[in-house]
Amino acid sequence: MATVAPLIEIQGLVKRFGSVVALDGLDLTVLPGEVHGFLGPNGAGKSTTLRSLLGLLRTQGGRATVFGLDPWRDAVEIHRRVAYVPGDVSLWPNLSGGETIDLLLRMRDVRPDPARRADLLERFELDPTKKGRAYSKGNRQKVALVAAFAGPADLLVLDEPTSGLDPLMEQVFNDCLAEHRADGATVLLSSHILSEVEALADRVTIIREGRAVESGSLAELRHLRRSRVHAEITGGLPDLAGLPGLHDLALTDHTVTCTVDPDGLPGLLTALGAAGVRSLSSAPPRSRSCSSTCTGARRELAGPPRRHGAPGAVRAAPGPAAGLGLGRPARAVLLRLGSGDRHAVPDAAGPGAGRRADQLQPGGGGAVRPDPRRHQPG
Amino acid sequence: MVALYGPILDVTSLGEVAMTKATVLYAMFVMALALVLVRRHTRVEEETGRAELLTATRVGREAPLASAVLEAGLVVTTVAFLAAAGDIAGGLPVQGSVLFAASWWGSGLVGIGLAAVACQLTASARTAAFIGAAAIGALYLLRAAGDTSAGWLSWISPLGWNTQLRAWSDPRWGVLLLYPAITGLLVGGAVLLRNWRDLGAGLFADRPGPAEGSPRLRDVLALTLKLHTASLAAWTAVALVLGLVFGSIVTNLGSLFDSPQAQEMLRRIGGEGAVADAMLAAILSVVAMVLTAFGIGVAAHGGTDERDGRTEEVLATATPRSLTIAAVLAVSLLGATWLLLVSGVATAVGYGVQAGGLTHSLGRVVGAALAPAPAVWVVVALAVLGLSLGSRWAMLGWVFLAGFVTVGLVGELLNLPTWVIELSPYQHVAKVPVEPVDWGAEAALTAAALALMAIAWWRFARRDIG
Repeated sequence: MATVAPLIEIQGLVKRFGSVVALDGLDLTVLPGEVHGFLGPNGAGKSTTLRSLLGLLRTQGGRATVFGLDPWRDAVEIHRRVAYVPGDVSLWPNLSGGETIDLLLRMRDVRPDPARRADLLERFELDPTKKGRAYSKGNRQKVALVAAFAGPADLLVLDEPTSGLDPLMEQVFNDCLAEHRADGATVLLSSHILSEVEALADRVTIIREGRAVESGSLAELRHLRRSRVHAEITGGLPDLAGLPGLHDLALTDHTVTCTVDPDGLPGLLTALGAAGVRSLSSAPPRSRSCSSTCTGARRELAGPPRRHGAPGAVRAAPGPAAGLGLGRPARAVLLRLGSGDRHAVPDAAGPGAGRRADQLQPGGGGAVRPDPRRHQPG
Repeated sequence: MVALYGPILDVTSLGEVAMTKATVLYAMFVMALALVLVRRHTRVEEETGRAELLTATRVGREAPLASAVLEAGLVVTTVAFLAAAGDIAGGLPVQGSVLFAASWWGSGLVGIGLAAVACQLTASARTAAFIGAAAIGALYLLRAAGDTSAGWLSWISPLGWNTQLRAWSDPRWGVLLLYPAITGLLVGGAVLLRNWRDLGAGLFADRPGPAEGSPRLRDVLALTLKLHTASLAAWTAVALVLGLVFGSIVTNLGSLFDSPQAQEMLRRIGGEGAVADAMLAAILSVVAMVLTAFGIGVAAHGGTDERDGRTEEVLATATPRSLTIAAVLAVSLLGATWLLLVSGVATAVGYGVQAGGLTHSLGRVVGAALAPAPAVWVVVALAVLGLSLGSRWAMLGWVFLAGFVTVGLVGELLNLPTWVIELSPYQHVAKVPVEPVDWGAEAALTAAALALMAIAWWRFARRDIG
């Protein structure tokens, strides 16, 4: 990893809009050929970062390079190799979709390839003869996506590219992304949906309030998907030491607190059941860096959560941040679950299914500022 | 002069003579103000989708239209009150001032009605603006034709009523009822149309566009040109019609002012020298101010494109910022200059046909039409400078234009200090063909425009986009 020169490198980037600090010392490294997920709640600074990388914004501190070039000074040079899909696509009201696609391609010095273009239009089920003002949000996004995918690009910068697409179109998007990746393209993909990034990305950076709070490969960030389990035991303490996928184990006379990988959950529940459970709470997966700083999580760590009803019932933990600890994103995931979306959180099935209910809990940690000093690398 | 400003029915009335320009020409500006307001709060809101958000709440379908009409009505009424107060403070008769202000108020109301209907017809906010502006222009031309030849035509146009009201002497109070009546009809029609159509749609469905882009549409310059082609064509038609009409009536008018009294009056208003030349100079200077609006529109449109994120999409391609702002400068400045040229040629043709001999008039009239060009460039460059400071400053050009037009047309009347009047670049242009071209002033204005353009170009490359 250290031997490969990064394609995008950001160190300590600062961007202020008046008195509002949008980026507060952001670090981000994207390696050539990878799909990098850029995850964070709304307003965390994702779009600001992407727009800074495109030289659209003037940053006030830190350093950023794309292809080893300066995004502000060498914007045009960089843009020749970049395809960009903004988060909120706006089209020229009087230009047709087809005209817009060809215009955006030609402005990137790409000659539109009729076959490739027709193929993409068909796959995305897009009518190119409509005028810009007549397209819905999803269709506007498709116009930008077709324009981005219809030409070669060394780097794809995609800002929440699937937010307006239906599940079938998301699949088309994933296929197109895979094709470009096979051609050697690097992808920086922002999202506030863990499952979307999880399905596509090699590595993930999580941003909160203008700072990167986590970064690493999905394997390295496995702890993001760990559940925190707290149980009160009626009998003797079970022997949990040998169980796979168990972390951060803390035992008192009658309580067990630990985090557990999705795979380890069945084993843990079996062992606890054998020991006899008076109450059990399970908190949803979250970023550890956040859980150690969210006040809700601290409260949880300081003492057991409120008593729950029947023994063995899997109940939601009160208070602490749901989902990734990112607040809103969890609700977004849930909405998708509710609409029968295939983007179920991968570990939501099985004995831990109660965590779907967990995510109904309002995100309490959303407004809490992460403290990097408390950050414990996973 | 009659064509331009409307007739002076009683040359002994101080109020009538003083306010001749304001009676019709400024009433048109009030109409345009009403058009801008109504369009802004109805069709623009629908095109951006904000209206959808609003009408999904407990707000009726007609509510946006109703509130826009109400707001514009309040603004127009305020303007009329201020006009009346200003006239009275200026020492004009009270009754005349009130009636005169009422004619502005009436024109504004009619403008609101026209705009309300225009905004129902098409899905495009820009086309709606064209339709509204064309309607105002048609009413103006009807009145111009009526006042110079067939008198009954003046009674068809609300702008003609402004004069027929005879605010300053022997007023016809009944005329005041005409404005609300026609406005009521127009707004009622707009409500009917609104209830008949879908939100965001026009009365007629959008025609499909081409499935592929033309190879010529390949950079930001071609794009900017394409975005303003329709607008430029419409403006060219306006320049053509204005030029032909005014050119052809210039020569007729000497006969209407055959009394020495009227000739004297005419000289005082328009300038000195031969009647026709004085008229040409007066007409062409006003036409130049009107045509400046095209260039300002281009700059303002750039601001809208940026706020909506389209400039970002362009700049995320291999398009340099310098080219983007240069495209705005090129289209706005060259477009405005082209329009001046068209108006000049059309005026020369109209004038030459009447005066017998195009060759005699062409060079002189076209030269006179182009004389204000450097002043136009300065104002357009100011508008682009606004855009280059930030997208929300892109409307700054309109403020400058309104200010310059105001001090130019009523500055002396209101006894404004000379330095205020001279803020307007239009004031530094000689009254060609009455006066010889002032090359020093032309050069200074051109230099000022170039300096403003350079600052705009420099600044745009150094700021945040969005």
